[in-house]
Amino acid sequence: MRPEIREYNYDRLMAGMLNAAAKVPAGTEKETVLTYQYIPNFTGVARSFINAGPAGVYFLELMARYYDNILTAKKKDRMIVGTTFCNTPAILYAMDLVPATFEVLTAIGSLVWKRGMFDYMDYCVEVGMPETSCSAQRGFLGACLGGLCEDIDIFICDTPGVCDTNANAFAFAAEYLDKPFFQLNYPSIIGDDRSQNYHIDDYKELVGFIEYHTGKSLDYDRLGDVLTEIDRQDALTAEMEDMLMMVPTPIPPLFSLMIYAGRFCFSGQPEYTRLLEIMVEDSRKRMAEGIPGLSAGKENLRLLMCYIDHYTVDTNFYSYLETRGIAHTGSILTRNFRKGSPYTEEMPDVSYDIDTSSPEMMLDSIAQLNARMPMVRSIRGPYDQHGMWLDEVLTCARRYRADCIIYNGTPGCRNTWGMVKPFARDLERQGYPVHIMYDDAFDDRVESWDATRERLDEFFAVRRLL
Amino acid sequence: MIVAGCDIGSLSAKAVIMEDDTILAHDLMRAGVRPSESASRVMEAVLEKAGMSMEDVVFIVGTGYGKEQIPFANAVESEISCHAKGAYHLMPSARMVVDIGGQDAKATRLDDGGNVARYIYNDKCASGTGRFLEVMAEALEIPLDEMGATGALSTQKLLISNQCVIFAETEVVSLVNEGRETADIVNALHHALARRAASLAKSIEVAREVVMTGGVAKNSGVFNALAKALNVPVLAIDGIDPQIVGALGAALYARERASIPQTGKNREAFHAAGNS
Repeated sequence: MRPEIREYNYDRLMAGMLNAAAKVPAGTEKETVLTYQYIPNFTGVARSFINAGPAGVYFLELMARYYDNILTAKKKDRMIVGTTFCNTPAILYAMDLVPATFEVLTAIGSLVWKRGMFDYMDYCVEVGMPETSCSAQRGFLGACLGGLCEDIDIFICDTPGVCDTNANAFAFAAEYLDKPFFQLNYPSIIGDDRSQNYHIDDYKELVGFIEYHTGKSLDYDRLGDVLTEIDRQDALTAEMEDMLMMVPTPIPPLFSLMIYAGRFCFSGQPEYTRLLEIMVEDSRKRMAEGIPGLSAGKENLRLLMCYIDHYTVDTNFYSYLETRGIAHTGSILTRNFRKGSPYTEEMPDVSYDIDTSSPEMMLDSIAQLNARMPMVRSIRGPYDQHGMWLDEVLTCARRYRADCIIYNGTPGCRNTWGMVKPFARDLERQGYPVHIMYDDAFDDRVESWDATRERLDEFFAVRRLL
Repeated sequence: MIVAGCDIGSLSAKAVIMEDDTILAHDLMRAGVRPSESASRVMEAVLEKAGMSMEDVVFIVGTGYGKEQIPFANAVESEISCHAKGAYHLMPSARMVVDIGGQDAKATRLDDGGNVARYIYNDKCASGTGRFLEVMAEALEIPLDEMGATGALSTQKLLISNQCVIFAETEVVSLVNEGRETADIVNALHHALARRAASLAKSIEVAREVVMTGGVAKNSGVFNALAKALNVPVLAIDGIDPQIVGALGAALYARERASIPQTGKNREAFHAAGNS
């Protein structure tokens, strides 16, 4: 790592930038101009969110608060848990812990810095991780391993067998930093009694692990509050989903990111409920006026991302969709698979429900919810098995009336790369043009954004979509 | 109506001039560092061959990796679309095009109307491309255009990996040091490259009528190895250099688009670049 990078605490750098950006809209014009001078490299992405209206502004505040929680955790005698987006932070909030979700923290750095998270990613390699490991973890983890972040107290992941590169990154971090580490496991099928029971039993082990290391018992009243909040959030998300199914949709592409990033950071917390309320209100208004969510004012195409989005500098990917008039109908990260959602009608066993009637039911609810988080839900087994990746994507493509499907990940996504070509073939057979992006969602060095954009333009032109 | 297609690839520049269904002239040359200069040079050469000037050309479509830099193009098209169009024009029975160019390899499946149904690029390094052969020709100190004939003399089967140009070159050096025959090494290289291209094609389902385009199609060793790796006959393009199929496709697009009133931009840009 370059010596000058080592001079700065990563968490504080990010927190400072996000705090400044979140305050921009409240200022006078002169203050705004001055604030932008303090965040020159962040101006592009700040403008993107601010231009997205009250939801975008609130989202910046949320991200700043997320960092604030991390930075003040020790002062408040709260442990920090390094975890993955595939694992809901809800249980951590219920147990008074502070989540530090690696992929979200890497994405923020990749979005705001021109050099992205390159130095931190490379640092992981310097200390022994393979360079083919996933950039989504390597970004924030590099800062973490370099001692440039608040100390992580515990590591929890739930990705072995689902995303081995992800699980390996957490195993490496726990070993390198000599911290307690727990891995949830998932069977290769979903929805049958045996799997459901496995989810609960394994989750009980997780709770026991946390109780042991924190010295605090799970407070079921608090878990009940968190689950009740999730219930509200799911209802709001369902309304967003309904509007996302409309043609044209009143939901802008950036909202898709905010729906899942908010959930990965603040699931079960009132902050995320508020974000969803603002997005619903904003989208409803557009729907009532018959205005598409795209700033271009016209929806030319409906795109379904069958995996993740692209997160490098300045929200380029989302701006690209805006300028081309392409509606983003979500990705594997967007939908929660709550029971009753239209897309779960064809595979009800893949969904979860919430029941707060007893401690046992609460534990069951959060275990089943966690088992429906992205990737662990539908990448756990063969892609063409019931309820897995192909089923999920085809159902969503039909429900959301997608015109085409795009795969984007990182070279480290070996569990999906291993099946993406037959998966794409099967989608094509169902009539969906499919494009496989060869870039890295978090690292522009693998393929520059300019090259990625050209490939996207080529796909839309050659397949006569635009 | 006279139209032109100009294909500026990473290693070569190609141009075709057409009048209705007839190819009046074509030319190809090594591409320089600047795509705009390569485009002007190849265009000037093909115009000279056709005995024409830029004023005679109604519409020009550019393609290839340098397409955006062609100063006189009225429009640009993806090389995927151009190779598909050119191949289908020459062989209407074609349902798959395997194009191995200088820096990439592409497989394209066509529908019955000649439209692109699916396509795929090489997803790793340059190991399945023309550059792979260039590097190996240099390592073996034999001219690139003699590789096909050299490989045909092979008597012993060798195996060379195809995932990385650098690693493959290391293998070649080792084989040379072991005293292996050059013909056997070249033959193994042809098969290595063909296997990479075939795996691409197979990932989008191989159609029965496969046409090979691009500069590497001129190498009979790779051509035959590809047919073997795909396990289907690969059709040879008769009477035309397979390397200009992309430019031909661009010219065909130019013909389609010529009905759109042109601005004269192509002529002005061509003359502004100092051409006659």
